[in-house]
Amino acid sequence: MTDYIQNPVLWALLVAVIVAVAVIVRQRRATRTLRQEFADLRDRHAELENGYAKSVEAAQERAEEATKTVLKSAMRTLQGLAAEQQLIVSRLQNKYGESVILQDLLEIDHTNSQFGRRAQSIAVLCDGWLGRQRDVASVYDVVRSAQGRIRHYRRVEILSQVDFGITSRAVEPVALALAELLDNATSYSSPDTVVEINIRTVPKGICIVVDDAGVGMNDEERARAEKLLSSERVSGVSGLGNPPQFGFAVIGVLAERFGFEVSVDSTSPYGGVRSVLLLPHDLLTSAPEQKEPAPVVPAAAPAPTHSGPEPASAASTTTADGLPKRRRKRPMAIVPGSASDAPTPARTGAETAAIMGAFQRGTRSGRATHADPAEQSSSTRGASSEGHEFS
Amino acid sequence: MTGFDELEPQTPELVRPYVITKGRGLPDEEQLSLITLVTAAADHQQRPTRLSPEEQSLLELCSAGYLSVAEIAGHTRLPLGVVKILLAALTEGGYLITRPPVQRAPLADREILEEVLNGLRAKFG
Repeated sequence: MTDYIQNPVLWALLVAVIVAVAVIVRQRRATRTLRQEFADLRDRHAELENGYAKSVEAAQERAEEATKTVLKSAMRTLQGLAAEQQLIVSRLQNKYGESVILQDLLEIDHTNSQFGRRAQSIAVLCDGWLGRQRDVASVYDVVRSAQGRIRHYRRVEILSQVDFGITSRAVEPVALALAELLDNATSYSSPDTVVEINIRTVPKGICIVVDDAGVGMNDEERARAEKLLSSERVSGVSGLGNPPQFGFAVIGVLAERFGFEVSVDSTSPYGGVRSVLLLPHDLLTSAPEQKEPAPVVPAAAPAPTHSGPEPASAASTTTADGLPKRRRKRPMAIVPGSASDAPTPARTGAETAAIMGAFQRGTRSGRATHADPAEQSSSTRGASSEGHEFS
Repeated sequence: MTGFDELEPQTPELVRPYVITKGRGLPDEEQLSLITLVTAAADHQQRPTRLSPEEQSLLELCSAGYLSVAEIAGHTRLPLGVVKILLAALTEGGYLITRPPVQRAPLADREILEEVLNGLRAKFG
């Protein structure tokens, strides 16, 4: 036994074991602290990351807000200028209406409208100014206004009309949203196809249906469009892509703010996209009176008022000032020669003969009653002119 | 600041003239001059509803008899050229009939008149 005790190997082993145990214990402790530290670090890291994300988000928001503010005021200036230019062009159109310049003026007007619309769209995305408030306008006029704001307006055809007006508050937003729809429809279909607009009355209000003959949208595009049209879209101007695609984002904002619905999820009969803009009843009024020149008023809106709702027909008999309106146009011009001797193309030979016969009988009977020989000789000039008619 | 009245007409027209004309070009001066006379065609009763309100009001305006282009333009708020374009389109569509303006009577030849007078005097005087 003592042999063992004196055996240095045993001692060495013992020492080795003790050292090993100590090392293991220390290692364990170290590992524990390390783990602890690691966990702490991870928490800290998560915290930091979170804070970082938050501050980035905040910075982004601030930047977005700043961009929006800058763009908003810039667009407001541009919109003001576009509107001013439109007025100038209108004045020029009236001034030079009879010269060939008019053609060019109309083109300038068209370009200016598109320019104004672009500025308006960006302003909408920046929660900015939409433009001056409009008067109540008929649905048809609002559609035509939208038509005029796109490049290829000639390719748009309005196939039906309804007897409704749009409240003044909604005129501009609906026109702008529809213009964006039409812009998409004309841009994504071939230049020789027509984009059709149908206006239909439905129980919920009025539908403006835009059908194009383009290639339609694939699933990805459709999903993107639906996301932009729904309320969970990203707001603001960032994230519109490059080149930026304003259309659906603008429509989404307008639809939400003014309470109409836009859907693009169906296919048109021509294979393209069918987009439907649904105007609820609270954006609609009865058809407005035509604001054309006063004398033409009864003439200007014949179709809408006859079949239109009662208030419209009642309103059309008096002006806003309570003055009665003229019912129908009498001939306004006494055109030399057009009354009797110029045969209207519609008049037949028999009618002409009858009229001439009546005239002849009239002159004859007139002379028969005034067959006073003294008077006849005294007024030779009258007699000679009558004789000319008579022969 | 300007008064409210001056600010009031500052809203541009909602429907622009080029939309009303549907982008059509100006007609020739021979086809429609300022004094060309225009009236509605006889069978305009079957007027389709596809016409725009402006076209319908022009038709209504012309249905009462011959009017000159200048007069028609005066009764609408539209620029004259726009009215001309619309009238030309309506004429092409067969809704309107145009007639060249009444010719000014040519001045009679003085010699012929004198000869006639002499002849009459010789015969009756």
